[in-house]
Amino acid sequence: MQELLREYRRIAVFGGVYNNSEALRETLADARGRAVEAVFCLGDLGGFGPHPDRVYPLLRAAGVHVMQGNYDLSLATGREDCGCGYTDPRDNHFARISYEYTFRHTSAPNKAWLGTLPAGFRLRLGAHRLVMAHGSPRLVNEFLWETTTPDGLLAQCLDQTAADVLLCTHTGIKWLRALPDGRHAVNVGVIGRPENDGSTNVWYTVLTAERDDLAVEFVPVHYDHEALAREIERVGLPAEFAETIRTGWWTTCLENLPAKERARGKY
Amino acid sequence: MATRIPLPVLTPGASTVPHAPFVRLASLWIQITGTLCNLECIHCINASGPTDPWLKPLSRGAVLRAIDEAADLGVKEIYFTGGEPFLHPELLSLLSASLAAAPTTVLTNGTVMTDRIADALRALAEAARYSLEIRVSLDDPDPALNDKIRGRGAWRRAVRALRLLNERGLLPIVTATEILEGERPSGEGMYQRFRQFLLGLGIEKPRVKIIPVFPVGRLTDPAGPVLDDAAIEGFDLGLLQCAETRAVADGGVYACPILAGLPGARLSDGGLAESFRPVPLYHAGCVTCHRTGMTCKNY
Repeated sequence: MQELLREYRRIAVFGGVYNNSEALRETLADARGRAVEAVFCLGDLGGFGPHPDRVYPLLRAAGVHVMQGNYDLSLATGREDCGCGYTDPRDNHFARISYEYTFRHTSAPNKAWLGTLPAGFRLRLGAHRLVMAHGSPRLVNEFLWETTTPDGLLAQCLDQTAADVLLCTHTGIKWLRALPDGRHAVNVGVIGRPENDGSTNVWYTVLTAERDDLAVEFVPVHYDHEALAREIERVGLPAEFAETIRTGWWTTCLENLPAKERARGKY
Repeated sequence: MATRIPLPVLTPGASTVPHAPFVRLASLWIQITGTLCNLECIHCINASGPTDPWLKPLSRGAVLRAIDEAADLGVKEIYFTGGEPFLHPELLSLLSASLAAAPTTVLTNGTVMTDRIADALRALAEAARYSLEIRVSLDDPDPALNDKIRGRGAWRRAVRALRLLNERGLLPIVTATEILEGERPSGEGMYQRFRQFLLGLGIEKPRVKIIPVFPVGRLTDPAGPVLDDAAIEGFDLGLLQCAETRAVADGGVYACPILAGLPGARLSDGGLAESFRPVPLYHAGCVTCHRTGMTCKNY
């Protein structure tokens, strides 16, 4: 966990780039237009998309603070899979294609760089003590879905990290929770694929310290998703990946979706 | 009616058995009906049946205390199991209490599901902020094969339950053991077989969980192998589900839902916090968890 000493007032945070350099470029441009002081990426640079190595120069040029997600950890250490922990053979089939493709098309220097990334960030946003993690502060690949993350668990995570606000990603669907004691948890969403609602845009989060309050804004990002879908098809990745980009409905990695989130999707 | 088989009660052997550390309380299991069940499946992990359950149902007070304590301890998920949970007269109101604290799952054989219960479950799910999951046990898409394991008529009633739940948008998870895999020709995998079967029933979002067969309950093998230091060398015992799971059942708090009720797996007389200590991996069932990476959780 990396401690950042500077105190911020306004930051942008996103997760799950999933090799989607088109959405990353638009996200960074949008964040610049919102006068944020810093941009944070909560990990998982790889997956699904066609050109893994196009992501890295964009992140570095923009000075994004990047942490290590489970995908990044797997790529850096040469693991056999992405570390999402699927047991469903269908999900594993597609996860394996995605991971092996990303592994083959990520350069050795970029893999090595992933190995240097911190597991999380701690920083101040005005009066608020923020802790950022990929899955959760205790497990890099823990899924914190909106409907399967109890208040008691969030309070425990915040207690154990001495924080007022928890930021996470990993699931692919954003949410915001205000705890009864005034603390907050935010899943910042991902910019690599749409969030299974039939819309093709992706999402990132802008947080602003306003006196004692915290303003959380989920920002939609539109990009040339059709061009990405065509490129996914051109390089020979599964049609299911292109379908998700083109329609906004998840076609794979469905096993871990809780009932409520699964019910909202098409598949 | 199957022949009743006395349940051997195993006790820990030598004190040198390996122990799994306690890491966190991720899931709480509530064995609400003990071993009271309307079926007598030949592979049941706790030898449940319709008469004289060796493990008694839990009282409403005991269940509520466990939910409250688990919520205070930061539990992530709560599971109701048995026996057959829907035989407990207060299940629905206890599910409501559980859903107020955490996402909640019920494991059922599906055979006592009715329109009225399914309606009540839908109302609970819609009112709750957390997910309600219903897991329905089925061992094969083929009625005759399934009923050979689970008893006559079990397939028809379980499939009816799947339809009732699916019609109400509850997206049941079919839980299947691998007990019939030896009777299937090679080729099409078990998962794919269930997926196609559910799609054929009109269930458009098929969810399947496959679990191994455990040498416990009716399939206990008193001479079965147990873990020793050589078997676990180099293995992170913190990855076993008993490192992050506890089961509340008659008599106290136990290491996991597979061994709930067995004296050797009992970790406290009732308090959850007191059960947060290393677990002796004394049972042949622990070998199955170690070998397969099994979790009783939904995923």
